[in-house]
Amino acid sequence: MIARYKRELSVATALGLLLLVLAVAAPSFFGADNLRAIGVSNAPVLVAAIGMTLVILTRQIDISIGSQFSICGVVAGLLAKEGIPAPVVALATLALGALFGAVNGALVAGLRLPSIVVTLATLVTWRESLRWITEGETVRNLPETFLWLGMGRPAGQAFIVISSLVLLALVAWGLRMLPAGRAVYAVGSDAEAARLAGIRPRRVVFGVFVLMGVLAALAALLTAIQFRNAQTNEGAGLELKVIAAAVVGGVAISGGRGTLIGAFIGVLLLGAISPALVFLKAEPYWEKAVQGAIILIAVATDAINLRQRKDVGASLAAH
Amino acid sequence: MLAQALPHTDQPPWVRKVLLSHEGVLAVLLVAETVVFSFLGRNFWGAQNSGEMVRLSAEIGLLALAMTPVIVTGGIDLSVGSLMGLSAVLFGKLWRDAHLPIAVAALATLGIGALCGLLNATLITRLRIPPLIVTLGSFSLFRGLAEGITSATDNFTNFPERFLFLGQGYFFGGVPAQGPIFLAAAVAFWLLLHRTAVGRSLYAIGFSAEGARHAGIPVERRLGLVYLLSGLTASLAAIVYVSHNGQAKADAGTGYELRAITAVVLGGTSIFGGRGRILGTLLGLWAIVVLQQGLLLSDGPAELAGILVGVLLIVAIAANRLLRKGE
Repeated sequence: MIARYKRELSVATALGLLLLVLAVAAPSFFGADNLRAIGVSNAPVLVAAIGMTLVILTRQIDISIGSQFSICGVVAGLLAKEGIPAPVVALATLALGALFGAVNGALVAGLRLPSIVVTLATLVTWRESLRWITEGETVRNLPETFLWLGMGRPAGQAFIVISSLVLLALVAWGLRMLPAGRAVYAVGSDAEAARLAGIRPRRVVFGVFVLMGVLAALAALLTAIQFRNAQTNEGAGLELKVIAAAVVGGVAISGGRGTLIGAFIGVLLLGAISPALVFLKAEPYWEKAVQGAIILIAVATDAINLRQRKDVGASLAAH
Repeated sequence: MLAQALPHTDQPPWVRKVLLSHEGVLAVLLVAETVVFSFLGRNFWGAQNSGEMVRLSAEIGLLALAMTPVIVTGGIDLSVGSLMGLSAVLFGKLWRDAHLPIAVAALATLGIGALCGLLNATLITRLRIPPLIVTLGSFSLFRGLAEGITSATDNFTNFPERFLFLGQGYFFGGVPAQGPIFLAAAVAFWLLLHRTAVGRSLYAIGFSAEGARHAGIPVERRLGLVYLLSGLTASLAAIVYVSHNGQAKADAGTGYELRAITAVVLGGTSIFGGRGRILGTLLGLWAIVVLQQGLLLSDGPAELAGILVGVLLIVAIAANRLLRKGE
């Protein structure tokens, strides 16, 4: 049990240490307001990280989610301003996300093109299309019925955090217990073996990309309902943030290895850095530097552990 | 092989070979772009525009040149844009706050860039962590250091005229000053990749790292060199960037890594390694720059350039895939 979750445990230990330091040096970090703020701002990141974990587990990557996120946020805002009821807005946004995911999935699974290049291309294409159509204009004054889904701020915040955690639990359960979930691991470990075992790897990859698109759209929705205005560049850089969280949480980029719990702890650890710096009276400008150092230390520790156990010839130059 | 697929044509075989090669297709695309924009664009053929295109392509071009051998080995370097930011900031610090002469500051910056490249190289070769992950971490680390050092606000300006010439001046009245630097870098990387044993070994590594090791190639040392050069070139690009813009801020080079990778992949280098050429990278780069500048001069929407580049990228790799299937 412990050996199986070694990677998750070491990240959890790092998170525990950080919280311990904060408990001693800046106990006010654990104030309800601060914890709530951290939860609300990281819930969308968690939602996107769930999708990214599945994508990485199948040995693919999706760097276009920042652009998908931006477009979905703006479209949700525009639809809401038209006076369309919030549930319809939500459905339409998720459908748009599924469409973006399907484009990536068709190119990767259908034409067998490398996912990093495909999603690099769609990243640029979607981002520039959005910029062209909106001319960078922010969608202002979203209606009250859309803001916090009309529930008011406290209930809306609770909704955002709880819905992301429920989603995490559901997908984590499905990944372990459902045949489709096991297929994700199988395809990522060895696509050919999975095929011989009766799984259709290309369908699994396509499905995972579609799910990624839906979750990117959901993350955009959970962000859009928090603010009066929807920025057109809200999602820029989200992809690397989310990939970093998954990797720190022990999800192997070579596919087939990692858990959603690990990714969850990764999101918490990276998301806690910025407020922790503020509470420790350090300059918040060092946030990215600390995050980068954590990523490198996490993967280096993991690599050293792996070498100690056995001298695995993990492909040197592979991505 | 292609000749068998297309037996009845009158052209000599080399014409077909050139036209069907990736570089050939890109060259045709480049000519097409040029023709279209000669009609649509104002002053497309003016000396000022040619100079402007060299300026536009120099910084990303330098990154793309160094990225080519990286991707040829099957790796990737996401940290170069961030390293430009860190190099620009440290360069400004060394010159303004440490009062070093500008040339010494520039040399020291190049050294720092090489060291940062070495950090990537060490993690990739010693600990065998995938390059994508290592450089994702240093992507965040380098940008964060640049922001931390300057509190994300400090801006270095008022560089001496002599230094600004490097990014803004002209030789012989028409050749942009960064032209020769870029040309020298292009020749150097071409020689390295296509005319040395080290270059050959990079292809072998990209094709199969394990096989290369069995063939006696010092895989770790070769990969180390490639990432070190990538870091060194990123700091060179940063110095050109600072001189071009007349200021050094922590956000220098944001997003440049993806643009450089785009030029390299559009140029026909396989993201899986083992295949790719400097000429292709140059053509890929120019196809993008001519498109951007041409749309600008013909009052087209600037965003259309990005959209077309995205579409071109997919068409290029899809075509490549289908062509190679035929072989």
